[in-house]
Amino acid sequence: MNSMLGQGLILLALAAAAAGSIIGFASGRSNSSAGLLWTRRLAALFSLSLLAANGVMVYALLSHDFTVKYVDMVGSTSSPTYITIVSLWSSLEGSILFWGFILGSYLLGFLVSTRGRHEEMTPYALGAILTVGTFFCFLIAGPADPFAAVIPRADALHTGPNPLLQNHWLMIIHPPALYLGYVGMTIPFGMGIAALLRGHLGPSWMGATRRWMLIPFGFLTAGVVLGGWWAYEVLGWGGYWAWDPVENASFLPWLTAAAFLHAAMLEERRGLLKAWTIVLLLITFALTILGTFMTRSGVFNSVHSFTQSAIGPTFLVFLAIVLVVSVVLVGLRMHLLEDEGQLGAPLSRDSAFVVNNMLFAGFTFVVLVGTLFPLLAEAMKDVKLSVGAPFFNQLSLPIGLCIVFLMGVGPALPWGRATPAEVLRVLRVPVAVGLGVALLCAAAGMHRAWPLITVFVAIFAATVAVRDMVSPVQALRRRHKLGLGVAAALAFRRGRRRYGGQIVHLGVALVVTSIAVSSSYQVVQEGMVEKGASLAINEYELRFEESRSFREPHRDVLEATFTVLKNGQEIGSLGPRLNRYSGQMNPIGTPAVLSTAKEDLYLSLMSVAEGGSAAGLRAFVNPMVSWLWVGACVMVLGIIIAVWPARRRAPDASEEPGEPVPPEAPSAKAS
Amino acid sequence: MSRPAAGAPKVSWPTFAVGFALILPLLGILLSGLFHDPHDLGNPLEDKNAPRFSLPRLDGGELLSLDDLSGKPAIVNFWATWCQSCPMEHPVLEQAAAEFGDRVQFVGIAYEDKRERLSAWLQRANRGQPAGYPTLIDVGGKAAVAYGVYGVPETYFIDSGGTIRAKKTGPFLAHPDPQRDGRVELRAMIHELL
Repeated sequence: MNSMLGQGLILLALAAAAAGSIIGFASGRSNSSAGLLWTRRLAALFSLSLLAANGVMVYALLSHDFTVKYVDMVGSTSSPTYITIVSLWSSLEGSILFWGFILGSYLLGFLVSTRGRHEEMTPYALGAILTVGTFFCFLIAGPADPFAAVIPRADALHTGPNPLLQNHWLMIIHPPALYLGYVGMTIPFGMGIAALLRGHLGPSWMGATRRWMLIPFGFLTAGVVLGGWWAYEVLGWGGYWAWDPVENASFLPWLTAAAFLHAAMLEERRGLLKAWTIVLLLITFALTILGTFMTRSGVFNSVHSFTQSAIGPTFLVFLAIVLVVSVVLVGLRMHLLEDEGQLGAPLSRDSAFVVNNMLFAGFTFVVLVGTLFPLLAEAMKDVKLSVGAPFFNQLSLPIGLCIVFLMGVGPALPWGRATPAEVLRVLRVPVAVGLGVALLCAAAGMHRAWPLITVFVAIFAATVAVRDMVSPVQALRRRHKLGLGVAAALAFRRGRRRYGGQIVHLGVALVVTSIAVSSSYQVVQEGMVEKGASLAINEYELRFEESRSFREPHRDVLEATFTVLKNGQEIGSLGPRLNRYSGQMNPIGTPAVLSTAKEDLYLSLMSVAEGGSAAGLRAFVNPMVSWLWVGACVMVLGIIIAVWPARRRAPDASEEPGEPVPPEAPSAKAS
Repeated sequence: MSRPAAGAPKVSWPTFAVGFALILPLLGILLSGLFHDPHDLGNPLEDKNAPRFSLPRLDGGELLSLDDLSGKPAIVNFWATWCQSCPMEHPVLEQAAAEFGDRVQFVGIAYEDKRERLSAWLQRANRGQPAGYPTLIDVGGKAAVAYGVYGVPETYFIDSGGTIRAKKTGPFLAHPDPQRDGRVELRAMIHELL
């Protein structure tokens, strides 16, 4: 029953998407408003069918309907309810169905936001989005059908979803956040295709595209960091980022999306880089498809390659189509998207944005090449090799630092042109603050060059961000004699985008500092600790008290308890664990972490001797790691502020590009 | 699907050139990736002479070397008591040793382990019965290095001429599904060797 209902809904969605995409393109070409109406209806039908199909699958999972193939694969009567719901995205078939749920939700939002607006653009945009939808519905209906009917076998084990997904609550939110980031890029992609087909990119469409990019960008930021956090809390090697192919796959579209958000500002303010901003939209979408291919094709050896599946080739064909169509469209239509203004002088915010985009593009290229190099080596010379973290670290450190430096320089400079004296004047204070803090750090015992440079650059950029947020408030107070609270509220309301953007920059400064310090000053100790004895690390002593094993509904747990003493004072106890899931050979650890603002004490249980007489322990002291998560939250908060819908004004009149920009114009600097 | 543009259509050939120069190699690399198994670590020693070893036996202390097997094919299993899946693999190997022991010599090599712990472990695993095949102690891990052991358990199939014919990374595990049953796989690999 569930099988049939689910398959029916998917076929309905497939038909609606296919018909909608054809009608969308056709009515875009003929400017038919009846065609647009039908496209919108079909898009709504497509979305609702996918939402309903997901509802059916969740119902089948919850009711343990093992006649549905996907439930037979990942269902388990012993899993807690929340794990059962989470199983929806624990395997290939379910995750592609869930993909449909997210696309459906985004598309409904897009339909609402474009009601009665942008009528010359939406048919093309919907056409492109529904083309993508057609492909995914085809996958769900055919090669990756989660609803296929099966006859449950009597001896089926039903061990539940992949244990990595059951091990930590972060795994419940990391994949959806990442998917919301990936899938959401479909909307701006469709909008970019519409601009190319229409051969026209106006300010209000650009503004809308930017907002539709900010939403998935926020989710992608959260998803990438949550992945790092999960790795830190679960994998037990003491770090959060390993340049694993699939980590890189999520970072790549983040880089190009960040580049787009900055290029879009230059486009909006100065009418420049029109074609390039569109290219960035297309690349970002292609990279999300590449990322999905990497995760789901089994081509890469990674902690993420959960599924060795046969849909790799299908994805590759789709990626090829996306790339070829993109190149052809850009080649044919680019001349219609001519720049309206002139790039400013080398010393100007314009140039800072251009260099920023070149750096983002370079960063993307480096990460892409490093990720694909093992495949290339194997194809050319049949050698197995892996490109390790040192390669990525060596190249990403200087590029990343330049980007953060420009993050400070850009907002400080005026559009158009700046004189050297002006540059000196605006950068003097931030540079001094940055140097001051770096010197303080050096005095406090940080002696390595790279972390110190990072601290300088981050503090410099943060100072610019803070000044950029404070100065409008001061100006308002001076000019209108307002109280602090009123002036701040007014400045915030007027310059919401700017505030959002600068808050993101503050978050980046925190993240970058935390990465530099935690990776340079990590301390590791390991050893077998006899019962009652201790392992010392920095000023901590870890006394092994006891080990115990117990059963939880879905796993066997082996936990070792350590008393933590700091400078001889007992400050608490930590219980790192090894969890064993039914049907799995190797246990999965859950490290125990004691987080403070200064540092994390991180214990990873390696083994427990028989009878519990000794425990193999690996202990880390990771300085400043919690600031990484705080910084990421700040970034997401800034993105939310930037994207929060303003009350609708007369259609975006204030966002005309090219008009003279007063220094405190609300939308001057942001995101 | 596009509206006719004002003026003559202009095609940007440089865009095509750069675009395709970037995407075609990318697609080519990804395509080649579909034909390789990333989990296949390769076996550089395949069809090469098996590295010689001469290691003390767990049960006696006298040395056993590959040459002592005198013309019998050998199955060399690297394992350890600290390894999670070795206990599950052990009965599969014991069973195969009982079945093929007259034609094939099974040898266990304990990697990074202690004599007392090994003896106690085997005693328990074999429920007091004598072991079906000898276990050697890899002093200093030299044999494991020579064979390029990636992790335990790992099993090498050496023919009667002393040439490595195959390798299995990871354990042979019993499974109700014959497609995934390590016993079936092990039996097939032994038949290849004979």
